[in-house]
Amino acid sequence: MNTWFKSGSPWIWLSAGGVSISLISVLGLLWLIASKGLSYFWPSELYQFDMIDEQGNNSVVIGEIYDREQIPVSQLAHLDLKLAKDQEVLERLLVKTGNRELVSLDFRWILSTNITKTTTPKDLAVVERRTNGNFYGFIDSLVLDGQPVDIAKLPELLERVEQFQAEIEDLQKVDIGAINYQLESLRLQSKSLTLKGELTVDKQQEIDTETQALKDEYQTLEQQLMALRDKISRDHLIMRAMDGQLVTINFEHILQVNFNNQLGFFDKFTLFLSQIAAFIIDDPREANTEGGVFPAIFGTVLMVLLMTVIVSPFGVVAAIYLHEYAGKNALTRLLRIAVINLAGVPSIVYGVFGLGFFVYMVGGSLDQLFYPEALPSPTFGTPGVLWSAITLAILTLPVVIVSTEEGLSRIPSAMRHGSLALGATKAETLWRIILPIASPAIMTGIILAIARAAGEVAPLMLVGVVKMAPNLPLDGNFPFLHLDRKFMHLGFHIYDVGFQSPNVEAARPLVYATALLLVTIIVALNMTAVSIRNKLRERYKMLEH
Amino acid sequence: MISVTPKALSADASKLDLTKLTSEQTALDIKGLNLHYGKKQALQDITMSIPKGQVTAFIGPSGCGKSTLLRCINRMNDLVDGCHISGEINLHGKNIYGKHVDVASLRRKVGMVFQRPNPFPKSIYENVVYGLRIAGENNRRVLDDAVEKSLRSAALWNEVKDRLHESALGLSGGQQQRLVIARAVAIEPEVLLLDEPTSALDPISTLTIEELINDLKKQFTVVIVTHNMQQAARVSDQTAFMYMGDLIEYSDTNTLFTTPMKKQTEDYITGRYG
Repeated sequence: MNTWFKSGSPWIWLSAGGVSISLISVLGLLWLIASKGLSYFWPSELYQFDMIDEQGNNSVVIGEIYDREQIPVSQLAHLDLKLAKDQEVLERLLVKTGNRELVSLDFRWILSTNITKTTTPKDLAVVERRTNGNFYGFIDSLVLDGQPVDIAKLPELLERVEQFQAEIEDLQKVDIGAINYQLESLRLQSKSLTLKGELTVDKQQEIDTETQALKDEYQTLEQQLMALRDKISRDHLIMRAMDGQLVTINFEHILQVNFNNQLGFFDKFTLFLSQIAAFIIDDPREANTEGGVFPAIFGTVLMVLLMTVIVSPFGVVAAIYLHEYAGKNALTRLLRIAVINLAGVPSIVYGVFGLGFFVYMVGGSLDQLFYPEALPSPTFGTPGVLWSAITLAILTLPVVIVSTEEGLSRIPSAMRHGSLALGATKAETLWRIILPIASPAIMTGIILAIARAAGEVAPLMLVGVVKMAPNLPLDGNFPFLHLDRKFMHLGFHIYDVGFQSPNVEAARPLVYATALLLVTIIVALNMTAVSIRNKLRERYKMLEH
Repeated sequence: MISVTPKALSADASKLDLTKLTSEQTALDIKGLNLHYGKKQALQDITMSIPKGQVTAFIGPSGCGKSTLLRCINRMNDLVDGCHISGEINLHGKNIYGKHVDVASLRRKVGMVFQRPNPFPKSIYENVVYGLRIAGENNRRVLDDAVEKSLRSAALWNEVKDRLHESALGLSGGQQQRLVIARAVAIEPEVLLLDEPTSALDPISTLTIEELINDLKKQFTVVIVTHNMQQAARVSDQTAFMYMGDLIEYSDTNTLFTTPMKKQTEDYITGRYG
């Protein structure tokens, strides 16, 4: 035993055990969010439950099984169930029944003892809608321009609707959006001229004609839009719900109609992939509980990239000054300690600072200087993507400074001396020799900064993130990148969907799916940075002295 | 007396009287040089003249100040904190420690090669042209010519001409040291300082470098620090023996190794200490 201790084996076992536990927890985490998140997209079987309750009433429940739970009989004593004597637990199913126009709740629990028959009818359909969530039921009939038509025409009709919807979206987002933007800038232009006292009759007329032209254009587009909407809304789908009621669904609201029970594995898989794609490229609907998360992905990536662009030069320059130029005295040491301690400040504090300093002070002054025409509605004096990026840049600054300094101090003095001895000045040596060699260390700092920033939510809630942003910060209207706009963020989206939505139960799988996406994006950003670093390392690898 | 084979001194060198060099013959004129690291004095009142176009060696036991003296010549000691220097070093009659001296341009005139090869993590080509690029030369043809010329004079051209754009870190230690010499030679300095250039190298590489030093003195004044007395005897025309920060004896190599004037020199070269 004693020799076993002396051999160091216990320590090896301990450390290996530590590594295993870390690995298992990471893999477990990924497995949990991946399985829960991805199963959200898998087209599940649609069930029809024939039920009989304690009073002997028959009913039918149609829906997807979301969850199963074993509950002890003792908890259900008040229900006066007829059970076998020795039965101690009962199974209870959480069924998503949708049909919000009939029942306000999407989900209901049913006890397995009440089920008399479970079937999976082939013609059971699930209709995915723009509003009111899913509808489960049987297709009764199809009405086209007031005339009933064969149900077999459904796929054709859906395709037509999809086309129209794409046109409508194009009109709304691109054309009408551009007109609104131009109208707003004209309004601001006129106001700014008034403020300066330069608004002559000529100019006013010019602006008025332009405005009128835009308004006319708007009218035409509006009419086009109405026409398109009309075309779609003439068609209806009549569905029979689980209790036999007929419900008319306008095609305008239909996204997809699927007969999940008819699908083979490959069909399901195709549908699965298309659902994932839709999740990634679509906009959210229904207070974020349905639809995709594209604006959030876009916002997250854009904000992180902006943050990187801001933090890298500042961090590197600060590290260079601290390491190369600052005198080696108590003040420098104090500065260094302060920088390291900055990394330990809670992120919400940075959020408060960002709100107080950047948004209100800097943004407010910018507004007064450059955008007086828009006041009192603020342009930069309100939370936005720029302030978020800058706040996170400050938050991650210590990380970049510390790693860069570390990289600088690892460079052998022989490199500096070699360069200086060839007649290079200190600045030239830094620029041509030291910085390239230190670049992998700088990249390490940037990687850590990205990892930290992409996961931060708390400060962003104060300086720019919103639940629902009407526009992306990047669009087709000059100057294309609108740094003053608010944006959506995956991290905040998770919080919002998971805890702020009206239907938490329905949103839970979405929370996992969004979390998986967030992890994927952070890993992807990090991998890009790591591969850049490895290339740099290969290029500037040092001699093993 | 150790058995060294003193190199055949050139007729010119044997005639030189190191105390009475004319200004044309002098590359470096060191006068009353004192150097302190903090409170510790590392060099004491060094006065010597280093002749042009010859190889001068500094020998002595570790810590005697020979490297420090060498580093004074291109002001590399400026980089050391707490280093204080008084006295003069005249390069062609101008004091390099005088006011308004541009250290960078001084170092362009006085090149240096360090103990361990320190090629930059760049290509062989970029290593050689580094000094030229710093000096503002970007003409491709000029750089190409300089690379070939310098690598030839560092006896490296034939080994690397086909892989000029590969990393310099792929070269062997001896090749790297010659590359570093080529790098120093490329900016055509007047004086070349070699700080124990072979101490990190194997015997064959050492031999190549020693042969190279012999060729280099045709173009440059070479000052070499070595702890290897045989090497000093083999490559140098003049030798200075230093001990504890003092210049003990300075004369032509032949004389110093065969008939040293001072007891300390004799003790050192016979291997009694050091």
